[in-house]
Amino acid sequence: MQSEIKSNFEKSLSEGNFSSSQKDIKEKNFNKFIEQGFPNKRIEDWKFSDLNQIISTNFENLDFSKKDDQSSIDVDFIHEFEHNKIVFINGSVSKVDLSYENENKIILNQDYELDEDLSKNVLINLNTAFLNNCIKITVNKGYKFQKPLILYNYLTSDLDSHGLNMRLDINLEDDTSLDVINISNESSKSNFLNFRQKINIGKNSVLKNYSLDINPTSNIKYLYKDINLDQNSHLEYFILSKGSKFAKHDINCSLNNNHGSIALNGIIDLDNKKHHEIKTVINHNEENCKSYQLIKSVLSENSKGIYQGKIYVNSKAQKTDGYQLSRALLLNDDVEFNAKPELEIYADDVKCSHGSTSGNIDENSIFYLMSRGLSHDQSKKLLTNGFLNEAVEKITNMDVKSLIKKLTGIQE
Amino acid sequence: MLSIENLKAKIDDKEILKGLNLNIKPGEVHAIMGPNGSGKSTLSNILSGKKGYEINGNVTFEGENLLDLETEERAHKGIFLAFQYPLEIPGVNTNTFLKTSINAIKKARGEKELDAIEFLKLIKQKSIELKFDEKILSRQLNVGFSGGEKKKNEILQMSILNPKLSILDETDSGLDIDALRIVSEGVNSLRSKQNSFLIITHYQRLLDYIKPDFVHVLKNGQIIKSGDHELAKELEKVGYEDFN
Repeated sequence: MQSEIKSNFEKSLSEGNFSSSQKDIKEKNFNKFIEQGFPNKRIEDWKFSDLNQIISTNFENLDFSKKDDQSSIDVDFIHEFEHNKIVFINGSVSKVDLSYENENKIILNQDYELDEDLSKNVLINLNTAFLNNCIKITVNKGYKFQKPLILYNYLTSDLDSHGLNMRLDINLEDDTSLDVINISNESSKSNFLNFRQKINIGKNSVLKNYSLDINPTSNIKYLYKDINLDQNSHLEYFILSKGSKFAKHDINCSLNNNHGSIALNGIIDLDNKKHHEIKTVINHNEENCKSYQLIKSVLSENSKGIYQGKIYVNSKAQKTDGYQLSRALLLNDDVEFNAKPELEIYADDVKCSHGSTSGNIDENSIFYLMSRGLSHDQSKKLLTNGFLNEAVEKITNMDVKSLIKKLTGIQE
Repeated sequence: MLSIENLKAKIDDKEILKGLNLNIKPGEVHAIMGPNGSGKSTLSNILSGKKGYEINGNVTFEGENLLDLETEERAHKGIFLAFQYPLEIPGVNTNTFLKTSINAIKKARGEKELDAIEFLKLIKQKSIELKFDEKILSRQLNVGFSGGEKKKNEILQMSILNPKLSILDETDSGLDIDALRIVSEGVNSLRSKQNSFLIITHYQRLLDYIKPDFVHVLKNGQIIKSGDHELAKELEKVGYEDFN
């Protein structure tokens, strides 16, 4: 596979319109990727998900060459839900509709800056090496979005057996707010999707981000998010990890100024041998910040779920509140759930806790529901839905909450 | 309606029911009284189809072998168990559960399922009858309910599902006098020539409100004596220990 990737890279470098310094950065990143390859289980962050093995089992070849032809496809927009939209087809922007907003307050920028520093994360190196388009959304100081923004990510069969590197940055200036929903719709097969996102949340600003992986696909995904929060800002992050064959959400948040807060809630809902991981790192770098995490997982049919959650508290970060809880329901004997909670605390006036439980569905509860005429399957579905619903109930945008309930069927 | 012949039940090699016989005809109210560990809850669990018991003997319900039926099939046929300890089901809305339940039963019986409006009408009417605060029904099933609310919720379910045979497993335990009266009135309102009841209790008190046709004493896995309401009063005086 390596020689193909090399020729893909050389081609992308010669065809792209890059400055010599950009080329230089890309080459450095590419060389590091070639040297190290896809991460394997000997790397601590990947100990439960050996990506190198997953890639080699699933792909004979992975074509990283650029696909520009945009097939004209019908985008299945969400109905009866007022929203702004940006549509990506095979990684490129195909439609932007911000008609609910004052467009003078929003800047969409397709130029991008490559990081000078060589990342330690080899998938970021890969992303930087191959990236040829990027979109950056900037919300100007003081502007609050009227309606949510849905990012539709469409992949067509043109992209079969391709590797795709995408990057989408969001910059909320001070005193702003934005609700974003990520929805993917993939009719392509056997893709490796390497999605990177850099997010800045300015002072007194609020970002609510709902990342939904619902539809079943044979694709392999890595989603890396790097989120920085300034003073008195708030992040609400919700993950629904369900549709892909393999997905890893790698969420890194830094509370860089006082009185910032994060609520990160997620669902891992797997069947049919799927393998999903949510990995989070919350850095409490300054005083009086709060973070809350709740991950609920339901696993069946030989699937594997992982939650690795780390809370880091800097010695300056007094009066920190940091909580994380993972609860998993294992429906069959052949499933696997791994949880690795970590607390690394250097300040003394902090409140931090973590908890993790996993267990079978309660047969007494099943009996109770069946004694009221429900079938075993109906009872199980009602109980697992109720179990997952706890995470959905944390969503504070009521319109989005009912949309997600409608899309997933998860409800009380 | 219900006929139990020589019913024996073991759990983990421990024999709990040791040859129990009981016949209930349509419209009859039977009370079973007995000390802790006599097998009262085991009997109600077995009748409603709980797994995990090794069972011998014959049980028929309206002529059909009851022990061959799954739990939900028994519910479809009209058997209802009011639980001693109703389970808390987090994340499941009580109304959603009630609607799923009644429609599952209606579907199995080939009846038309209730739409949202018909269901709400039924719930409203039953809540008023049972003096049940309707707001509770928009909460998660039994989660954070008081003991009394849980038991009333069982009776509400019973009343909505209108079963042929209702088994009340220590429904009176943990109820204050007012709640006991309301629960009893709920049960009495369901009494008819067709509907039968099997009431399991420790205490005579409940039977002052729900007058049984028959009282049975269950001790050590067998019914050792049957009689009418007077038997319950006698038991109350003598106690289970000395009752033979």
